[in-house]
Amino acid sequence: MSPRFAIPLLLAAAVWPQHKLASVDESGYRAMLKSSAGSVVLVDFWATWCAPCRKEMPLLAKLDARLRQKRFHLITISADEPEQEQAAVDYLAKSGISGAAYLRRAIDDDKFIAAVEPKWSGALPALFLYDRQGKLVKSFLGETEIATIEAAIQKLL
Amino acid sequence: MTGVRAGFALYLALMVGAALGQEITVVVFISTVCPVSNSYNLRMKELYRDYAPKGVKFEFLNANQNESQMDVDDHSRSVGFPFPVTKDANNAMADRLGAEYTPESFVIDREGAVRYHGRIDDAQNPARVRHSSLRLAIDAVLAGGKVAQPETKAFGCVIKRVRKPS
Repeated sequence: MSPRFAIPLLLAAAVWPQHKLASVDESGYRAMLKSSAGSVVLVDFWATWCAPCRKEMPLLAKLDARLRQKRFHLITISADEPEQEQAAVDYLAKSGISGAAYLRRAIDDDKFIAAVEPKWSGALPALFLYDRQGKLVKSFLGETEIATIEAAIQKLL
Repeated sequence: MTGVRAGFALYLALMVGAALGQEITVVVFISTVCPVSNSYNLRMKELYRDYAPKGVKFEFLNANQNESQMDVDDHSRSVGFPFPVTKDANNAMADRLGAEYTPESFVIDREGAVRYHGRIDDAQNPARVRHSSLRLAIDAVLAGGKVAQPETKAFGCVIKRVRKPS
């Protein structure tokens, strides 16, 4: 490539925002679940500012690795602000999360939260368990023992 | 200035005030350590500055069992809150109102009815705020009107409750 084109491209790459996590909003959430049809899915809403979420993340990563062969998917959705995206990416890597990871970019959090689960206030941590048909089976709101989460998953596998 | 009041006594104070038709009350559950709550410290000071002179009573509560009175006092001093923060002992008030996260707000009218429940506004970053939900609700109640959106949701830190026998 000639330097005439390469330099503007490099400059553009440096200036444009680099989205490292896929974005999801209220309409994309259903599509995201649909793409995992046939699998048991645990959606983990978390944030770098949520201490209990950070604590459970490595445990969820181990659970995911152990159950993946049984068609289980862990999906993480960070509720961080765009400015914290890199911190979220770093924490996911540090925790050993290798599955689908999203950053919420909802136009309105109120509508997004209600679309996920009308009874959910938005408090983190929050995990939602879906069966192979994509039906919400169980919500874990607040700090939950990993054994309780695994027991609910095992019933669906 | 801080103080400890049991949830029921606080509830009673709110209800007596309402029964006397005194004022509208804004209750906000906050935390000393939750980054989302702390991102609203300045906005809470501004709310107090703008609405306390209009006769709105504010109750800033800390219901987290893992945050002590000393933590609450130190935090209030360090961030320069101009209002008292009350420790909601045994999260009794949080239970009564159904508060789940910080920062979470309630607007209670002169008759003691909850007219608004939810977020302070729609963005942690003040530069991205589009809906100042709590302000709109207070304005509506002060004007004797209807709150356009009486329930809202927001991402926040779960209130760490005292374990009680079920």
